[in-house]
Amino acid sequence: MVNLLYTELLKLKRSKMFLISILGSVVAPFMVVVASYVHMKTENPAQLITFDEIFYETNLYTVLIIGVPLYGVITAYLFGREYLEDTLKNLLTIPVSRISYIMSKLVILFMWIMLLTLVSWGLTLFLGILGQFEGLSTLLIVEYLGRFIAGGVLVFILSTPIVLVAVVMKNYVPTIILTIVITLINVMSANSEHRALFPWAAAGDIANGTLQPTYPAEISYTIIFITSIIGFIVANVYFKKVDIH
Amino acid sequence: MSAIIKTTNLTKVYGNQTSVDHLSMSVKQGEIYGFLGRNGAGKTTTIRMLLGLIKPTIGEIEIFGENLFKNQKEILRRIGSMVEVPGFYENLTAKENLLINSKIMGIYKKNAIEEALEIVGLQDETKKLVGKYSLGMKQRLGIARALVHYPEVLILDEPTNGLDPIGIKEMRRLIKLLAEERNITILISSHILSEIEQLADTMGIIHGGKLLEEVTFDDLRKRNRRYIEFQVSNDNKAVMLLEKHFNIFDYEAHDDGNIRVYSYLGQRGKMNKLFVQNDIEVFKITMSEDKLEDYFTNLVGGGTIG
Ligand SMILES: Nc1ncnc2c1ncn2[C@@H]1O[C@H](COP(=O)(O)OP(=O)(O)OP(=O)(O)O)[C@@H](O)[C@H]1O
Ligand SMILES: [Mg+2]
Repeated sequence: MVNLLYTELLKLKRSKMFLISILGSVVAPFMVVVASYVHMKTENPAQLITFDEIFYETNLYTVLIIGVPLYGVITAYLFGREYLEDTLKNLLTIPVSRISYIMSKLVILFMWIMLLTLVSWGLTLFLGILGQFEGLSTLLIVEYLGRFIAGGVLVFILSTPIVLVAVVMKNYVPTIILTIVITLINVMSANSEHRALFPWAAAGDIANGTLQPTYPAEISYTIIFITSIIGFIVANVYFKKVDIH
Repeated sequence: MSAIIKTTNLTKVYGNQTSVDHLSMSVKQGEIYGFLGRNGAGKTTTIRMLLGLIKPTIGEIEIFGENLFKNQKEILRRIGSMVEVPGFYENLTAKENLLINSKIMGIYKKNAIEEALEIVGLQDETKKLVGKYSLGMKQRLGIARALVHYPEVLILDEPTNGLDPIGIKEMRRLIKLLAEERNITILISSHILSEIEQLADTMGIIHGGKLLEEVTFDDLRKRNRRYIEFQVSNDNKAVMLLEKHFNIFDYEAHDDGNIRVYSYLGQRGKMNKLFVQNDIEVFKITMSEDKLEDYFTNLVGGGTIG
């Protein structure tokens, strides 16, 4: 498995996707911090925006809006390229077992999401310090590190249905459309008291500690867990049996 | 000689189409097995089943004497393969692409990758990314990748696809070399009879998913002996002369004064002279065509191959 992961990393060498994904993860912190800064400087009387708020908003946008399509594109890329470049038939005849194939991709996806999460958190911190937002403390930094990571982990956990679509459709487009639909539902349900029932929206609330009291937290956790497990099992069962053409 | 690859009633059905139909083939240790068939005959489908990429609808596959599906991992490790056009990570160099295979297989022999690249003549393309390779270069790199782990069996699906005539010749030389020097058993598919004829020891002909015939070229050459055909004005007298003067009994007399002589083919000038000196008119002398092409066409029907 270690060797398999090494080869997964090697496959990313010189890959533009890596740079593009970093750019994608930079969008939320950049927009939040710059918008807050402009807002603070132009509003009269001067309005105070705290470090806490910029961390909160960046994480909110990252998990609910940017994260799902961005990590979805990465998922589509990791799985789709083996079909596009027609390398899957080589891998499976080396042989790489079908389950280790999916597992190694998931591990890389997790590492990738974590890296982008840290980029987004670190950049918010850096830009926030540059913009001299108030209320920075070690406690706040650590707390939001935890929340960013929780958001990243939850979106990763919810990537299995997206993996399933990537493996079944063998193509980037349906995978990306699915993540756009998920994002749309996230946006539309932002003001709904029932959003805790939609796993991706619930993930945003859990990460930011804003779960609504409508339903007990266990319901959201269970829905996320079940969505993930079903995606994982179906993807593996399907891929184990499918003919590779 | 024992069978290295053996299939029994191997069948693949897609919807209402049977792409491979109760195919029982046997590839023996150390031989080059030519798997010949026209486009759509079922070559690739068969090969993908041998490699565990697609599951047979029914039928058995035994490789190295073991059931493929019971011990797929160990069996595949001993095989090198190239199916259709090989695919590579285009953002990587040739070496990096081969490194992926050797890492996963756990090959720690130091020069395995360089050696494989050298065999196919790609050792100098160290900087170029595979995305910038020509079709022929990719094809050769595919062979290198199939060889990097010193397999005992090579399965190559139309490896000369897209190669120019010189490339085809080199590929042929390479395949022969691998069979002779490394004693690798090779299964190679093609839709070109002459290509198989120049390479293979045994030929399996697949058509409409069925294995029509599996023969060694030794047998085939015996079956398709060459002859000279004379057309003469008096065939009775002519064959008498052949018997008397050349001691030839290995002939056939056909209609219209046609005589086929199967031995002493090099003496045809003298035979002709003998006929003429004995007042027999000779209308025609022809050497038989190589009958292999006819043989194949008769088997699979239709005019052209491929
Ligand atoms: N995934 C599939 N679904 C349906 N039919 C298929 C599929 N793959 C192959 N076939 C059919 O099976 C038959 C055999 O195809 P195959 O690719 O094995 O032929 P081939 O001998 O390799 O031909 P070629 O020389 O063109 O490569 C063809 O009629 C093809 O249309
Ligand atoms: Mg084919």
